[in-house]
Amino acid sequence: MRSRPVLVLGKAGAWLLLAFLFVPVLVVVPVALTDQDYLSLPQHGISFSHFAALLVPGNGWLASIGTSLAIAAVASLVATAAGAAYAMGVWTMKGWWPSLTRLVLLAPMIVPPIVYAVGIFRLWARLDLLDTPTGVVLVHVVLCLPFTVLAVGASLSNLDPAIVRAARSLGARPPTVFRRIVLPNIRLGVAAAALFAFVTSWDEITVTLFITSRHVVTLPRRIWTSITDSVDPALAAIASVLLLATVLALALRLVRRGQPA
Amino acid sequence: MTAFQRWAFGLTVPACLIVTALYLVPLGTVLAISVEEPVPGLGNYAGLLDSPAVARVLATTLQVTLLTCALTLVASYVVAFALVHMSGRLRQAALLMVLVPFWISVLVRAFAWMTILRRQGVINSTLAALGLITDPLELANNRIGVVIGMVHYMMPFAILLLYANLAGIDRRIMQAARSLGARPGTVLLRLWLPLSLPGIAVAAIFVFVFSLGFLITPALLGGGRTVMIAEYISVQITNTLRWGVATSLATLLLVVVGAAIFLAMRSPALRAAFEGQVRQ
Repeated sequence: MRSRPVLVLGKAGAWLLLAFLFVPVLVVVPVALTDQDYLSLPQHGISFSHFAALLVPGNGWLASIGTSLAIAAVASLVATAAGAAYAMGVWTMKGWWPSLTRLVLLAPMIVPPIVYAVGIFRLWARLDLLDTPTGVVLVHVVLCLPFTVLAVGASLSNLDPAIVRAARSLGARPPTVFRRIVLPNIRLGVAAAALFAFVTSWDEITVTLFITSRHVVTLPRRIWTSITDSVDPALAAIASVLLLATVLALALRLVRRGQPA
Repeated sequence: MTAFQRWAFGLTVPACLIVTALYLVPLGTVLAISVEEPVPGLGNYAGLLDSPAVARVLATTLQVTLLTCALTLVASYVVAFALVHMSGRLRQAALLMVLVPFWISVLVRAFAWMTILRRQGVINSTLAALGLITDPLELANNRIGVVIGMVHYMMPFAILLLYANLAGIDRRIMQAARSLGARPGTVLLRLWLPLSLPGIAVAAIFVFVFSLGFLITPALLGGGRTVMIAEYISVQITNTLRWGVATSLATLLLVVVGAAIFLAMRSPALRAAFEGQVRQ
């Protein structure tokens, strides 16, 4: 086949842009391995001391990882339950209620978090929920809900509604239909919803920044403070750990499924 | 209402209650404060019009957002277009290079760019070591740094949206055009681009809305000198406690974002996308 200059140029450009996306993220690894006490590339050799610093309890990294894991676990559990119930309910409904409520439920995904942060700060101040785990969990539930609704909804759109009619004509009562017929058929979607919600809560920073200060320090909150206050190479070490975990999870997924996430 | 309909409705209630109490009420509070504090009336909005600081922040926000949008869309289209033309292993590798930054925390990405762009950063120290520069280039704590960081943040979203759209286009149309003698440039401009317009529009609205209210990356890479609206609001709340200014600006942001989404929803393709039924 004749080589087409447009396509060749386009492909080269695409790989350069892919490098722009991927390579800069990798820079945290050599910085984490520096033998210096400040942010730099290794000067005389590599050192794992900044990774070791993550494990020192006094530095708070482990505590923050624990806090983030606990908050993300509870928030994703609640958001997945509420989101899956909602998605199953509207799946069988018609009229204005599904379309109106859907718009409101998806809003947190689209409305800039800074607007919500201002509002919830005021409400939490009045309810004494600022800087409490409960306050953070409730906010994260709201922010995770759109993702769970979308994930479960996508799963339901592949399910034949005739399954409900069949079950009902055979005498299944409404709770049985939802719990024993619909739910088992969308369990993969529910699992995906829980995963999405977990990652959303684990990563959330903008609103958390407003409603926490000293007592509830999630991992993103600690990273933020560390970036703005100091230039500690431990930051590069935690960034490398997060990067490694992400790459491994994605690579596993791509290899196992042969499909993008 | 039949018993079944009552059950279906009941299932939707918890999520709706959560969102009403914990989302709509706080947003309503923002609107209310903007016309109540410090004095009732539209004084806060009039104040926004008079303030040179607000005018500067809005101008910066708009310029950075539009530049981010334009660069992100062009770059993402090139990548998405290449992705649909790749095969097997190559595409998997390319997708991994999109998905890793997509899943990595926004903080890690901003931090990585800080280490690259700052005065003693990777770029400046490399260029200095090569003897190409004597004074470090100003790449961070200004608009260049903010735009680089924001394009880097938005590209994976735009690429995945455009890729889903491009992959769904019937390739036989292009084969037919080629067999009728159309040149590659013609196929790109007269077939691919028009057919992918809905996808481009979705990606454009998406990037616009997210860039407009973005806090983290501009705050970290702007270094307090390139201040966008979200950072300005944040400073009004946490430092100067000017609730009126913060809430009226937040309301303005809400209105602009709402208008953008409303316009988007008028297009059937965009409506389908926002309602979560992204096809293919």
